[in-house]
Amino acid sequence: MSSAKATDAGAAVGPAGVVYADYQSSKPVDPRVVEAMLPYFTQNFGNAASLHGVGDAATAALEEARARVARFIGAEPAEIVFTSGATEANNLALIGYAMRNRRKGDHIIITEAEHISILNIAKYLEKNGFRITRLPIDLYGRVSPKKLRARITDETILVSVGWASNEIGTIQPIAEIAETLAGTGIVFHSDAVAAEGLVPIDVRETPVGMLSLSSNDIYGPRGLGVLYLRKGVALAPVLLGGGQERGLRSGTEDVASIAGMAAAADIMAAEMPAETARIKAIRDRLVARVLAEIPDAHLNGAPLDHPGGRLPNNAHFRFAAVEGEAMVLSLRDAAIAASTGSACSSKTLEPSHTLISCGLLHEEAHGSLEFTFGRFSKEEDVDRIMAALPGVVARLRELSPLYQKPPAGKALGGGKGPA
Amino acid sequence: MKSTQYTEKTLEHFRNPRNVGTLEGDNVAVGRVGNPVCGDLMDIYIAVTPDDRIEDIKFQTFGCGSAVATSSMVTELVKGMTLDDAMKVTRGDVADALEGLPPIKMHCSNLAADALHEAIKNWRAGVKPEDALKTAEDETCRPHPAEAATAEIANFAAYEGKGAYTAVEDPAALADQRVVVLDTGDRAAQLAIDLTDHTGRVVLMTSAKDPSVSGAMRSALRLSDVKVLAEAQPLELRGEGELERILVHDLNEDEEYELAADAFVVLK
Repeated sequence: MSSAKATDAGAAVGPAGVVYADYQSSKPVDPRVVEAMLPYFTQNFGNAASLHGVGDAATAALEEARARVARFIGAEPAEIVFTSGATEANNLALIGYAMRNRRKGDHIIITEAEHISILNIAKYLEKNGFRITRLPIDLYGRVSPKKLRARITDETILVSVGWASNEIGTIQPIAEIAETLAGTGIVFHSDAVAAEGLVPIDVRETPVGMLSLSSNDIYGPRGLGVLYLRKGVALAPVLLGGGQERGLRSGTEDVASIAGMAAAADIMAAEMPAETARIKAIRDRLVARVLAEIPDAHLNGAPLDHPGGRLPNNAHFRFAAVEGEAMVLSLRDAAIAASTGSACSSKTLEPSHTLISCGLLHEEAHGSLEFTFGRFSKEEDVDRIMAALPGVVARLRELSPLYQKPPAGKALGGGKGPA
Repeated sequence: MKSTQYTEKTLEHFRNPRNVGTLEGDNVAVGRVGNPVCGDLMDIYIAVTPDDRIEDIKFQTFGCGSAVATSSMVTELVKGMTLDDAMKVTRGDVADALEGLPPIKMHCSNLAADALHEAIKNWRAGVKPEDALKTAEDETCRPHPAEAATAEIANFAAYEGKGAYTAVEDPAALADQRVVVLDTGDRAAQLAIDLTDHTGRVVLMTSAKDPSVSGAMRSALRLSDVKVLAEAQPLELRGEGELERILVHDLNEDEEYELAADAFVVLK
């Protein structure tokens, strides 16, 4: 697991010739993780529930992996529940907690910056008799602990705030929120998928009650997630069956994937400081060049130097009078993979809810373009992007009835702020 | 409340409007507002006593349900009042008396108080009814000057000092806030430009296609980072104890939407 080996592995990862700058949508599985998983497909393939030796070997592998995943976030092994992904972890956290604790109250607080899985789970709970409050965000996408306090009632049982925005990369004041909720009896859940592997997460330092993680977001296999469940937090299961995962998540454990996530967590723990510094340098250079070289370009979300923080891999722009999907399609022709709005909400025609909540107008939110970098991103990716993007924006502006050239004398750089 | 949802009281006044008709005589004045091209026109007739009271009041209105209901309600509210007191009746008072109006109707159909005030002004200025009833040809479909916006937004007062401001003495106090400045001319535009030194998000909102500013200011706006939001009318301020969102009427699409904002400035 030396860094030299990581670089070698990097050369073999990703589609040939394509600049992949959409790490928030999906990440490649690290080749070292694939290697760690292989024995569990053909050799150690047992069912951890079986009583024979093959089953015992699977149990041993499962529990060893559980301990490693727990260590990644400073948790106890017994606090880790494996699920089929972060979406399921979110379902188990919110629905499981709400159903089990209904007699304590019927009020749940989420934010306007949540991933769509949380938003839709909240809608489902609303239909089932719970009251949902959606906490507003500021122009950078951050929630305010003060606004949270103003919305807590005697009936509030659960607060769910994503650790960071998967869209604009804004990091939430999770520690402050945890502090706000300490001693109230209100359980604090955080969907940490966008943040994991990019910022340190330790549940001993930041006392969340529940935390959702995804394996793929630390370069592990897809189809696996984790719900961290602090000792003492009681849930009703959402999936029923053979009673695996202490009855909280039935279904035979996928030991291969779990071993893969454990390997991914170990690699991430070892390499994160150097890796995030490298990714941040790539991201910072792209932001600087875009704002300097393309007129009427703006950075969405928090400024790079915002004290609250922005994920080091995220660059989220908008370009006046140009539509986001048109940019993604044009970049695709230049073998560059980027995204617009939220990948998960692109099935609807609605612009990103997060950008609208930041105060952008629909026309502005439609013009957004997101680049997210990761483990296998290279310095040259920025040059490739900048070889294509100014031309793409200029061409689409020529087609656009909305665009007026800025008058001579207007400085490039997108102004003071991000929004 | 949905845009089509009226209160029972509004519907009742729409179905059985009070004081419909016209008045004649030497002690009569008329106020006319609206424009038939825009879908509403309202005449309010007042008969004034020697001691400046509204002795009688009648109206005629071409317009939608709330245009009729607000006309009816305003005649009821002010009958017998002194002219001075009647001048103090606001659009918000009329809406309150109807137990609320849908936000989209607050600005486009709540002309009744304006027509009343117009009638009183005409009485005081000695404008004869026949002159008052000449509709100005060049009147636009958005007859409400921006200065009236604080009155139009029924709940402006509820957020005053908590995100709604009529003056900004220190732009730095709005640092990092999403500030929406209502277009009330060059002074508002200059404030918007000044604010861009302190925050990344400044919107200049105008109900017209372009801000009502001088040519020099228009160029200054283009050079600045102010986002001009045209054909937009603020309807209502929203938020938990402080301003968080502004309900905006998109006059071009005739749609309502919420704009997230921390500060809303209407310069007096």
